[in-house]
Amino acid sequence: MACIDTGIIDTGILDTALDPAAALARLAGADLSAGGVASFLGQVRQEDGLTALELEHYPGVTEQALARIAQTAAQRWQLDRAVIHHRVGRMIPGEPIVFVAAAAPHRRAALDAVGYMIDLLKTEAPFWKRVHTDSGSHWVDAADTDRRAADFWLDQMASEDA
Amino acid sequence: MQITVKYVAALRDRMGRPGETLDLPEGAADSEAVIARLRETDTAAEALAHPSVRLILNDTIVPRPAVLADGDVLAFCPPFTGG
Repeated sequence: MACIDTGIIDTGILDTALDPAAALARLAGADLSAGGVASFLGQVRQEDGLTALELEHYPGVTEQALARIAQTAAQRWQLDRAVIHHRVGRMIPGEPIVFVAAAAPHRRAALDAVGYMIDLLKTEAPFWKRVHTDSGSHWVDAADTDRRAADFWLDQMASEDA
Repeated sequence: MQITVKYVAALRDRMGRPGETLDLPEGAADSEAVIARLRETDTAAEALAHPSVRLILNDTIVPRPAVLADGDVLAFCPPFTGG
Protein backbone atom coordinates (compact mmCIF):
# COMPACT_ATOMS: atom_id res chain seq x y z
CA MET A 1 0.00 0.00 0.00
CA ALA A 2 1.34 3.40 -1.02
CA CYS A 3 0.38 5.60 1.93
CA ILE A 4 0.66 9.19 2.97
CA ASP A 5 -0.22 9.75 6.64
CA THR A 6 0.46 13.14 8.20
CA GLY A 7 -1.71 12.68 11.27
CA ILE A 8 -4.50 14.75 9.72
CA ILE A 9 -4.66 13.17 6.29
CA ASP A 10 -4.46 9.46 5.60
CA THR A 11 -4.44 8.52 1.92
CA GLY A 12 -3.44 5.32 0.24
CA ILE A 13 -3.63 3.14 -2.84
CA LEU A 14 -4.02 -0.58 -2.25
CA ASP A 15 -3.66 -3.56 -4.55
CA THR A 16 -5.24 -5.85 -1.95
CA ALA A 17 -8.71 -5.79 -0.39
CA LEU A 18 -9.84 -2.60 1.36
CA ASP A 19 -11.04 -2.95 4.96
CA PRO A 20 -13.54 -0.11 5.41
CA ALA A 21 -14.75 -1.39 8.81
CA ALA A 22 -11.22 -1.26 10.22
CA ALA A 23 -10.60 2.17 8.69
CA LEU A 24 -13.83 3.51 10.21
CA ALA A 25 -13.07 1.91 13.57
CA ARG A 26 -9.72 3.74 13.64
CA LEU A 27 -11.59 7.04 13.29
CA ALA A 28 -14.25 6.40 15.92
CA GLY A 29 -13.12 7.92 19.19
CA ALA A 30 -9.63 8.73 17.89
CA ASP A 31 -10.09 12.50 18.02
CA LEU A 32 -11.85 13.84 21.08
CA SER A 33 -12.56 17.15 19.30
CA ALA A 34 -14.45 15.33 16.54
CA GLY A 35 -18.20 15.40 17.11
CA GLY A 36 -18.93 13.70 13.81
CA VAL A 37 -17.45 11.09 11.52
CA ALA A 38 -18.88 10.71 8.00
CA SER A 39 -17.86 8.18 5.39
CA PHE A 40 -18.52 6.97 1.85
CA LEU A 41 -17.88 3.46 0.57
CA GLY A 42 -17.84 2.84 -3.18
CA GLN A 43 -18.14 -0.76 -4.29
CA VAL A 44 -18.23 -2.74 -7.52
CA ARG A 45 -21.79 -2.76 -8.85
CA GLN A 46 -23.26 -5.97 -10.26
CA GLU A 47 -24.29 -5.11 -13.82
CA ASP A 48 -25.29 -7.18 -16.81
CA GLY A 49 -22.52 -9.60 -17.60
CA LEU A 50 -19.89 -7.91 -15.40
CA THR A 51 -17.45 -10.46 -14.07
CA ALA A 52 -14.73 -8.12 -12.80
CA LEU A 53 -13.74 -4.47 -12.60
CA GLU A 54 -10.11 -3.50 -13.11
CA LEU A 55 -8.64 -0.23 -11.83
CA GLU A 56 -5.49 1.18 -13.40
CA HIS A 57 -3.72 4.25 -12.05
CA TYR A 58 -0.67 6.40 -12.70
CA PRO A 59 1.83 5.57 -9.93
CA GLY A 60 3.55 8.58 -8.43
CA VAL A 61 0.85 10.99 -9.56
CA THR A 62 -2.22 9.35 -8.04
CA GLU A 63 -0.70 9.41 -4.55
CA GLN A 64 -0.05 13.16 -4.86
CA ALA A 65 -3.56 13.78 -6.18
CA LEU A 66 -5.26 11.95 -3.29
CA ALA A 67 -3.08 13.73 -0.73
CA ARG A 68 -3.87 17.12 -2.31
CA ILE A 69 -7.63 16.45 -2.27
CA ALA A 70 -7.56 15.29 1.38
CA GLN A 71 -5.35 18.24 2.39
CA THR A 72 -7.67 20.74 0.72
CA ALA A 73 -10.69 19.19 2.47
CA ALA A 74 -8.89 19.17 5.83
CA GLN A 75 -8.13 22.87 5.54
CA ARG A 76 -11.48 23.93 4.09
CA TRP A 77 -13.61 22.11 6.69
CA GLN A 78 -11.14 22.21 9.62
CA LEU A 79 -11.10 18.41 9.81
CA ASP A 80 -9.51 16.36 12.56
CA ARG A 81 -8.95 13.59 10.06
CA ALA A 82 -9.38 13.10 6.28
CA VAL A 83 -9.14 9.58 4.86
CA ILE A 84 -9.05 8.36 1.25
CA HIS A 85 -8.22 4.72 0.53
CA HIS A 86 -8.54 3.57 -3.09
CA ARG A 87 -8.17 0.13 -4.64
CA VAL A 88 -6.32 -0.70 -7.84
CA GLY A 89 -6.18 -4.01 -9.68
CA ARG A 90 -8.95 -6.49 -10.28
CA MET A 91 -12.15 -6.62 -8.20
CA ILE A 92 -15.37 -8.64 -8.28
CA PRO A 93 -18.94 -7.35 -7.72
CA GLY A 94 -19.51 -6.31 -4.12
CA GLU A 95 -15.85 -5.57 -3.40
CA PRO A 96 -14.98 -2.11 -2.04
CA ILE A 97 -13.31 0.26 -4.54
CA VAL A 98 -12.90 3.39 -2.45
CA PHE A 99 -13.35 4.47 1.16
CA VAL A 100 -13.54 8.16 2.03
CA ALA A 101 -14.08 9.49 5.55
CA ALA A 102 -13.84 12.70 7.52
CA ALA A 103 -13.81 13.45 11.24
CA ALA A 104 -14.82 16.99 12.18
CA PRO A 105 -16.17 18.95 15.15
CA HIS A 106 -19.66 19.06 13.58
CA ARG A 107 -21.69 16.88 11.19
CA ARG A 108 -22.09 19.37 8.33
CA ALA A 109 -18.32 19.75 7.94
CA ALA A 110 -17.78 15.98 7.99
CA LEU A 111 -20.58 15.31 5.50
CA ASP A 112 -19.55 18.09 3.10
CA ALA A 113 -15.89 17.12 3.27
CA VAL A 114 -16.72 13.54 2.28
CA GLY A 115 -18.84 14.80 -0.63
CA TYR A 116 -16.02 17.05 -1.77
CA MET A 117 -13.36 14.35 -1.56
CA ILE A 118 -15.29 11.67 -3.48
CA ASP A 119 -16.47 14.15 -6.13
CA LEU A 120 -13.00 15.63 -6.68
CA LEU A 121 -11.36 12.22 -6.67
CA LYS A 122 -13.48 11.14 -9.63
CA THR A 123 -12.22 13.92 -11.89
CA GLU A 124 -8.80 14.85 -10.46
CA ALA A 125 -7.08 11.56 -9.56
CA PRO A 126 -5.65 9.50 -12.43
CA PHE A 127 -7.58 6.24 -12.16
CA TRP A 128 -9.18 4.37 -15.05
CA LYS A 129 -11.83 1.64 -14.83
CA ARG A 130 -12.01 -1.32 -17.18
CA VAL A 131 -15.05 -3.59 -17.16
CA HIS A 132 -14.63 -7.29 -17.83
CA THR A 133 -17.64 -9.29 -19.00
CA ASP A 134 -18.27 -12.77 -20.31
CA SER A 135 -17.90 -11.43 -23.84
CA GLY A 136 -14.82 -9.23 -23.49
CA SER A 137 -13.72 -6.01 -21.83
CA HIS A 138 -14.00 -2.26 -22.30
CA TRP A 139 -12.84 0.96 -20.68
CA VAL A 140 -15.43 2.97 -18.75
CA ASP A 141 -16.26 6.40 -20.20
CA ALA A 142 -16.14 9.45 -17.95
CA ALA A 143 -19.59 10.70 -16.88
CA ASP A 144 -20.66 14.33 -17.37
CA THR A 145 -22.43 14.08 -14.01
CA ASP A 146 -19.06 13.47 -12.31
CA ARG A 147 -17.61 16.62 -13.91
CA ARG A 148 -20.62 18.66 -12.77
CA ALA A 149 -20.37 17.25 -9.23
CA ALA A 150 -16.73 18.35 -8.97
CA ASP A 151 -17.55 21.75 -10.49
CA PHE A 152 -20.22 22.27 -7.80
CA TRP A 153 -17.56 22.22 -5.06
CA LEU A 154 -14.97 24.17 -7.06
CA ASP A 155 -17.51 26.90 -7.87
CA GLN A 156 -18.59 27.06 -4.25
CA MET A 157 -15.00 27.37 -3.00
CA ALA A 158 -14.17 29.97 -5.66
CA SER A 159 -17.17 32.11 -4.63
CA GLU A 160 -16.18 31.85 -0.96
CA ASP A 161 -12.62 32.93 -1.78
CA ALA A 162 -13.85 35.87 -3.90
CA MET B 1 15.39 17.33 -28.59
CA GLN B 2 14.07 14.03 -27.38
CA ILE B 3 10.70 13.45 -25.69
CA THR B 4 9.26 10.25 -24.28
CA VAL B 5 5.52 9.92 -24.77
CA LYS B 6 3.26 7.47 -22.96
CA TYR B 7 -0.27 6.42 -23.84
CA VAL B 8 -2.43 5.45 -20.88
CA ALA B 9 -5.44 3.13 -20.49
CA ALA B 10 -7.90 3.44 -23.42
CA LEU B 11 -5.40 5.60 -25.35
CA ARG B 12 -2.77 2.85 -25.05
CA ASP B 13 -5.24 0.44 -26.64
CA ARG B 14 -6.15 2.99 -29.32
CA MET B 15 -2.52 3.68 -30.20
CA GLY B 16 -1.62 -0.02 -30.01
CA ARG B 17 1.51 0.65 -27.96
CA PRO B 18 2.39 1.98 -24.49
CA GLY B 19 4.52 4.83 -25.79
CA GLU B 20 7.59 5.82 -27.76
CA THR B 21 10.50 8.21 -28.01
CA LEU B 22 10.22 11.16 -30.38
CA ASP B 23 12.86 13.47 -31.80
CA LEU B 24 11.45 16.97 -32.11
CA PRO B 25 12.98 20.15 -33.51
CA GLU B 26 14.30 22.52 -30.85
CA GLY B 27 12.07 25.45 -30.02
CA ALA B 28 8.44 25.13 -31.02
CA ALA B 29 7.73 22.02 -28.99
CA ASP B 30 4.59 21.66 -26.97
CA SER B 31 2.02 18.92 -26.46
CA GLU B 32 -0.02 20.05 -29.46
CA ALA B 33 3.07 19.88 -31.71
CA VAL B 34 3.63 16.33 -30.52
CA ILE B 35 0.04 15.42 -31.42
CA ALA B 36 0.41 17.05 -34.86
CA ARG B 37 3.64 15.17 -35.44
CA LEU B 38 2.08 11.82 -34.50
CA ARG B 39 -0.98 12.45 -36.68
CA GLU B 40 1.27 12.76 -39.75
CA THR B 41 1.98 9.04 -39.63
CA ASP B 42 -0.72 7.52 -37.45
CA THR B 43 -4.45 8.14 -37.88
CA ALA B 44 -5.07 6.71 -34.39
CA ALA B 45 -3.30 9.78 -32.95
CA GLU B 46 -6.43 11.78 -33.76
CA ALA B 47 -7.73 10.49 -30.40
CA LEU B 48 -4.96 12.39 -28.58
CA ALA B 49 -6.28 15.69 -29.91
CA HIS B 50 -9.68 15.33 -28.22
CA PRO B 51 -10.22 18.16 -25.70
CA SER B 52 -11.05 15.67 -22.93
CA VAL B 53 -7.52 14.19 -23.04
CA ARG B 54 -5.50 15.03 -19.89
CA LEU B 55 -1.72 15.45 -19.72
CA ILE B 56 0.80 14.28 -17.14
CA LEU B 57 4.19 15.90 -17.64
CA ASN B 58 7.04 14.40 -15.59
CA ASP B 59 4.67 13.15 -12.88
CA THR B 60 2.57 16.33 -12.65
CA ILE B 61 -0.93 16.82 -14.04
CA VAL B 62 -0.71 19.89 -16.30
CA PRO B 63 -3.14 21.85 -18.49
CA ARG B 64 -2.93 21.85 -22.28
CA PRO B 65 -0.95 22.93 -24.10
CA ALA B 66 2.14 21.84 -22.16
CA VAL B 67 5.51 23.35 -23.11
CA LEU B 68 8.18 20.67 -23.45
CA ALA B 69 11.91 20.46 -22.83
CA ASP B 70 14.53 17.90 -23.78
CA GLY B 71 14.16 14.70 -21.77
CA ASP B 72 10.54 15.31 -20.74
CA VAL B 73 8.12 12.44 -20.26
CA LEU B 74 4.63 13.32 -21.51
CA ALA B 75 1.68 11.02 -20.82
CA PHE B 76 -1.61 11.27 -22.71
CA CYS B 77 -4.49 10.18 -20.47
CA PRO B 78 -8.20 9.64 -21.08
CA PRO B 79 -10.56 11.41 -18.63
CA PHE B 80 -10.20 9.94 -15.16
CA THR B 81 -12.81 7.40 -14.06
CA GLY B 82 -11.89 6.38 -10.51
CA GLY B 83 -13.99 6.31 -7.39
